[in-house]
Amino acid sequence: MTGPGAVGRGILGLVFSATAAVIYLPIVVMIVFSFNSGRYQVMPFREFTLGWYRRTFQDIQYLEGLANSLAIAACVSATATVIAFICAYSLVNSKFPGKTAVTLFVLAPLAVPLILIGISLRIYFVSIGLEPSLALVFVGQVLYVLPLAVLNIRNRIAQIPRSQEEAAWALGASRTRTILEIVVPSCKFSILATLIITFTFAFDEFVIAYFLTNFSITLPIKIWTTLVTGFDPAINAVGVMVFGFSIASGIVAQAIFMRKDKRT
Amino acid sequence: MVAFRKQKRVLPGKTSPIANLWQGILPALVLMGAFFIVPIGYMVGLSFIGPEGDGPTLANYGTFFANDRFTDALGRSLLLASAAVAVASVFAYPLAYFLTFVVSTKRRMALLFILIAPFWTSFTIRAFSWQLVLSDSGVVAYWLGKIFGGSVSLGFLYTMAASVFGLALFGVMLITLMVFSVMATIDGRLLEANRDLGGSEMRGFVEIVLPLSLPGWIVGAVLTFIICVGDYAVPTLLGGGFKPVLAQLMLSTLKGTYDLSMAATFAVILVFVVLVAALPLSLLRRQTRLLQ
Repeated sequence: MTGPGAVGRGILGLVFSATAAVIYLPIVVMIVFSFNSGRYQVMPFREFTLGWYRRTFQDIQYLEGLANSLAIAACVSATATVIAFICAYSLVNSKFPGKTAVTLFVLAPLAVPLILIGISLRIYFVSIGLEPSLALVFVGQVLYVLPLAVLNIRNRIAQIPRSQEEAAWALGASRTRTILEIVVPSCKFSILATLIITFTFAFDEFVIAYFLTNFSITLPIKIWTTLVTGFDPAINAVGVMVFGFSIASGIVAQAIFMRKDKRT
Repeated sequence: MVAFRKQKRVLPGKTSPIANLWQGILPALVLMGAFFIVPIGYMVGLSFIGPEGDGPTLANYGTFFANDRFTDALGRSLLLASAAVAVASVFAYPLAYFLTFVVSTKRRMALLFILIAPFWTSFTIRAFSWQLVLSDSGVVAYWLGKIFGGSVSLGFLYTMAASVFGLALFGVMLITLMVFSVMATIDGRLLEANRDLGGSEMRGFVEIVLPLSLPGWIVGAVLTFIICVGDYAVPTLLGGGFKPVLAQLMLSTLKGTYDLSMAATFAVILVFVVLVAALPLSLLRRQTRLLQ
């Protein structure tokens, strides 16, 4: 393939490196500050300490938020992945008029600002007499991650050769058995990766949760209120841990996707 | 196929598992209907209910457009999102071009991952980390002070420019990804032909790569605009709250005054903005592959 000349390559490489540097700079700074013994987030660096991390794990509010976030994210991820699998399988294996429209409808929340999902659900739930709570956050976040899950799994199911399914069917296996024994195993890596991705997205999600709960908080809400209502130097340590967790699960999900690719 | 058909007759009462499984879409459809369409529809209805529970009336919209504070917020949201898309596009094209035509196929995915990875975490954490860097007592000001002497006041944090910066970074990632996914499918022979016939690199870019990758840009730009126009975290943490955007007004109205009708009106105006912004996607009928 033809490509740009040496100068062009140099300039383009520079743009890439500069962009990457800008993207990673604040993360590095946050990591550095999380180990800084100074109470204020100003240079120069004082002494190395693990105190902020220790303090985070002694703060009951962070722990409560973390527990809530983990529980909700687990429920959201499991629910959304199951619904998405059934939906994706059916979308791939059916023909009916308006299928494209139905597909776009299911994917629609992707193209809507989260704040609209949050505010419309809040107003709606309040007016039918439901108090804001973690259960409502669960509903809102399932809606948020479902399109991603459908996209992920659908792409994989569309690649599976039909012959095995047809063979199982011809030999008299039921639809459920065909799905459980043929389809699920052949896209288990996609399903696993989807579980991880939806978990991470739900775990990090702030806006929908902020609208839909009042008193029980999630970790992103606790982080937010700490940021806007007064400063806590431990916030750097929290940020680093949340960030590390997100990146780690991203890498794991990516690795699982790669593994799937090799097998096909 | 013949054997398969015969088998089907032997097992009456069962239909082929392959076709007509539309029932499986129902759970997702019900979820979307009950918690997405109905709430938004309810909100639209509520926006036509006046302050005294009267209606249907356009009173809330009248209030909105008669109040400079509100229309300014709308204008600011639109400006922020447009600026973010513009800035992001300027960087995204060279990046996508670099990934497609300079980097080897093997390293591509790794480099793409480097660009995307930080965006796995929430806007909140990322916006906060930028505060550490950009504030007047932050790292950039400190090093500039070291280099040039004296105390440097950037005056950058809590401005519109800081918001644009924060949102554009996100846009760079998204638009690069979308443009790259289309650029990578361009037939290399077209560029070879351009070169063989004496066309310059730049000409190849302008006349071949740019038009062919436009669908990817449209998807990336539209999604970036939509996400940025409704964002709340970046304008609050980087832009400060003194010049509110639509999302901030919405939240303060909802959590502060409990005026549900007015909050709904803000939201419906945002829905309208999103719908208009999504119009370019309909140009892409043939490229819907991208979204699917």
